[in-house]
Amino acid sequence: MTIAVSGRVDTVTAPELEASLNFGDATCVVIDLAGVPYMSSAGLRLLLASHKKMLAKGGELQIANAQEAVREVLDITGFSGILNLV
Amino acid sequence: MTNRRSLNLKLILSVLAAFLLSLAFSWFLHDRLSERDAYALIDRTFDNVQDELADCVNERLVLVCMAAREQLEDGHPDDPASMQKLARELRVTEVSIADEKGDIVRSSVDDYLARPGRPAFNFAATDDKVANEMMGLVDGRYTEYCQPFRSNPANGNWRKFVGVWRHAGGFFEIGCDAKALQSLARSTCVDLFRNWHVGGTGGIVVTTPSGLVLSDYEEPNREGTQFQEPDGDFFYWKCKEIESFPVYVMIPKGSAAVQRDVLVGSTALLNGVALVFVALLVGFVISAFVRQQMRAQAAKEMKMATDIQLSALPNVFPPFPDETRFDIWASMETAKEVGGDFYDFYFIGKDRLLFLVADVSGKGVPAAMFMMRAKTLLKGAEQTGKPIAQAFEEVNDALSEGNSSCTFVTAWAGELNTRTGHVTFVNAGHNPPVVLRGGKAELLKSRPSLALGAMSGIRYRTGEMWLKPGDEIYLYTDGIVEQPDESGNLYGEERMLKALSDTSRHGKDVLDAVLADVRRYAADVEQADDCTQLLIRYRGEPDVVTREYAPTMEDLARATDDLAAALKPVPAKAKNKLLVAADEIFANIVRYSGATRWSLSVVLTHNPEGVRLVISDDGKPFDPLIHRDPDTTLSAAEREAGGLGILIVKKTMSPVTYRRRNGNNILTIGKDYGD
Repeated sequence: MTIAVSGRVDTVTAPELEASLNFGDATCVVIDLAGVPYMSSAGLRLLLASHKKMLAKGGELQIANAQEAVREVLDITGFSGILNLV
Repeated sequence: MTNRRSLNLKLILSVLAAFLLSLAFSWFLHDRLSERDAYALIDRTFDNVQDELADCVNERLVLVCMAAREQLEDGHPDDPASMQKLARELRVTEVSIADEKGDIVRSSVDDYLARPGRPAFNFAATDDKVANEMMGLVDGRYTEYCQPFRSNPANGNWRKFVGVWRHAGGFFEIGCDAKALQSLARSTCVDLFRNWHVGGTGGIVVTTPSGLVLSDYEEPNREGTQFQEPDGDFFYWKCKEIESFPVYVMIPKGSAAVQRDVLVGSTALLNGVALVFVALLVGFVISAFVRQQMRAQAAKEMKMATDIQLSALPNVFPPFPDETRFDIWASMETAKEVGGDFYDFYFIGKDRLLFLVADVSGKGVPAAMFMMRAKTLLKGAEQTGKPIAQAFEEVNDALSEGNSSCTFVTAWAGELNTRTGHVTFVNAGHNPPVVLRGGKAELLKSRPSLALGAMSGIRYRTGEMWLKPGDEIYLYTDGIVEQPDESGNLYGEERMLKALSDTSRHGKDVLDAVLADVRRYAADVEQADDCTQLLIRYRGEPDVVTREYAPTMEDLARATDDLAAALKPVPAKAKNKLLVAADEIFANIVRYSGATRWSLSVVLTHNPEGVRLVISDDGKPFDPLIHRDPDTTLSAAEREAGGLGILIVKKTMSPVTYRRRNGNNILTIGKDYGD
């Protein structure tokens, strides 16, 4: 299951994204960030919550196509060592 | 120093006291020992005298007794009267003849002979053991026999008896009282004792019982005179009667004490040497300890002086967090712990930045003290806002007054109008600054005025110039250009200008690069003088947009849109970082600060291009810079999402400064992307 996200992910937009992140019974979810120019910690919080949720049900969450600004934030916060970046 | 001197005095006194005490003890000990030795020697001497004198006297009396035998066996009459006559002739007291049974058969003494109703004295029958021994002459054990001088148990008279055997059986016997004994043995004694020395200078005196000197080891001529007992103050002495002679053995105390004196003397010498050595050693150890303490104290004070001096200079960069028209950096590397250089900068009015670099002649503590004074005077004069030249004239007069050490200060001070870039400056004998413009470094030559403190009443010339946005001005002291290399050649202005021309470096990196270049040039030669640098980049007037917001999600969205619009000319890479950082701060304010309103100023700076976001809120005080960073090494299960925003801001923005002013949190974040 792949979810493509586009547009900035910040305090304003995160609640909207959170509502649309419905994984159902999928055991492998790929979040495609190709269309995300930047992401603040509000977005990171969603990614961490999703990752923990998938781990809890024995599934896997993958983050694909993180752009430079997003990848930098993931690196700074240590999230690139936790999440599966592809 | 007084303490140290009295310490030394105490040390010497106590060593001296110990020395004298040990000497006194040693003297006392050896005095006792020598007295004991003297008396032991006297007792030994008496034993020897006893033997020698007895031998001597016995030998003489045996000869006398043999003379009596000769005469009597030759037919000398042996009636009592004749016997008495014989005794007189032989100068003895008694002469007797005993038969083989031990009976006295002839004698000059009637009492020994048999009388009616009384047997003769019999040597074998008497209880007297000494007398019994005479029978040895009869049974052949002795040919001659000498009794000691003693009181005769038979009649209580003091006698010495000597016997020799008789050819017809039995024996002849002579008896001597003290007087007879002495007259017989006199010459023998004199010969025997005259040269008998006791313990070096001691000796023996023999007298008659009445005290007439028979033999005197000391004064042979005194013989026959009355003997005076020795004085106990000057002699160890004892008297014993031997063979009827009173014998004095005496040792002068001075002679006995020779050994003591030698021992005490050598002890004194050894002790003295040892104590002097110990005193020197202790003194050395103490003074080394004191010196080390003083050095440590001096080093500590020097460190404090260094800290005081450095803290007197503005040393937090950037010094003006909201300042967007210029950047300023400065550094000072002292050659010793403290230096004579200084830099300074401060606003002396609205848009008027004063900046200066100065160099006190000399180095070390004297220069540092003069430097602190000069710095304080300059700031005091400049901060009144008067023109630099006038302030310099006042400071020069103050420093020149009573300047007995002839110390002076070279200084270059400029006043930058931060709005226009106009600079007025005064050069008091200092090195010309460098202007960096369009990748070129050029010296700003001007005719210098006299150094501060050299002479009072000097007029200072004012120069002027314009800094265009993007221009830089670099101030330095001669520690940079006059650093020698191994062969003594100086670093010089050319090398400095070349190092400054490298446009790939900015800000503090420029200062570090020049200093590194100087160090490279000096190689193993140590830093010759204090190296002080100051760099100002004039950026010019920024574009500023400020808007106010309410603490709502709607206004947060509006602020984000406003920011995105304002950042349109900014490259995407920098813009995205700024948007992320801003979102973190906006979210904190709206959610947690309790603010009633907040504002955002977007400042687009130039030369180089950059952005400063000044975000102000009236919420509760919150300094994100002292907030602890979350642990980014934990696993997914352990990680919390909190605190990440501030971490992102701190990592992606430079500068990040926080102030609390007038009830507002003012956070300035920014990024230069033009370099």
